[in-house]
Amino acid sequence: MIFRAVEDADLIRKAARGDVEAYNLLISRWEKRVFNYLLRIVGNREDALDLSQDVFLKAYQNLRKLEDPERFVPWLFRIAHNEAYSLFRKRKPESEGETVPPDASHMGVSVGGSSVFPLELSLAVARALDRLSPDQREAVVLKIYQGFKFEEIAEILSCPISTVKSRLYTALDLLKGDLAPVKSRGA
Amino acid sequence: MSCSPQDLRDYFFNELLESDRRSVDIHLRSCQNCREEVERLRATEAALLAARDEEPPQRIAFISDKVFEPSALRRWWRDFWGSAARLGFASAAMLSAAIVFAALTRPAPLALPSPPRAELARIEAEFSARLQQAVKAAVSESEARQAARTDQVLAAAERRYRLEREAILLAASEDHELMRKRYGRMVLASMERRDEK
Repeated sequence: MIFRAVEDADLIRKAARGDVEAYNLLISRWEKRVFNYLLRIVGNREDALDLSQDVFLKAYQNLRKLEDPERFVPWLFRIAHNEAYSLFRKRKPESEGETVPPDASHMGVSVGGSSVFPLELSLAVARALDRLSPDQREAVVLKIYQGFKFEEIAEILSCPISTVKSRLYTALDLLKGDLAPVKSRGA
Repeated sequence: MSCSPQDLRDYFFNELLESDRRSVDIHLRSCQNCREEVERLRATEAALLAARDEEPPQRIAFISDKVFEPSALRRWWRDFWGSAARLGFASAAMLSAAIVFAALTRPAPLALPSPPRAELARIEAEFSARLQQAVKAAVSESEARQAARTDQVLAAAERRYRLEREAILLAASEDHELMRKRYGRMVLASMERRDEK
């Protein structure tokens, strides 16, 4: 993991000097995570892909401003967060005041396909996530699915750690009520 | 440790300090409710992770196009001006270079040929003689000035003394005249009194 971090820092330095191939290698390492984060936030594969491309383009254009290459990942997700909320703001009039209108049926749930999990559980997760507010859902996505530390999430969302915890723990209380009984019934 | 949902969640997400984590571990051994709470959190997380990551529908990649890329010189120029630290360092370096350049290019003072030793001795002797003459002239001039001033002071003192003496004599003379007149009047008065008798 440390070796990987060192390699990323090296690629970032090369990319900052205009090495496009080094940047493409960097993209290949992070595009899946960025795409899935955006997919769970915007709830639409097409938007998530478009936004992912915008995120990596914007990151390339601003790579020289990144002072510490070790902070690349939170910095990249901060760009992704901003791009997603920029899209929501553009679409706000169409959705009649709703800031984030994700579709629960596309909340990054691989229904069917090669999933080893029961279909019932996947649908229950989609429904449970749909009950959360956009802020709570994003906190869950960043912590549970992306595995960021509280400090990194606070940096990505540009808010205090206490706010991150409050959103996440309120979301967990709601999710627990919906999902823990499902698991116990399925067990 | 008492039952604290906040601590349990931080414990579950591995966000506690090692010492706090050990405290929660010890507490969990004796608290059934907290063990069940952690178990529910694990079940919730496992359910959420049932929705696994998808592969992006297509790969993202950029192509290097020299037409749109800035030249190496322009990249260097942009990087140079884009970094405050480097700009500061460059400014300091330019200032240092200017100081060194000014020091190296400043005209040196003219080197005068040194006179021969005999000439030097003659110059020293002449200088010494002139110096003595000048000192003597200055001393005599000073003495004359001092003498003239002393004379002036003495003359002024003598004049002041004479005037004071004249004033005293005049006053004494006036007093004598007054006494003489009084005496005359008294003599006349006594003679008149004697004649009346």
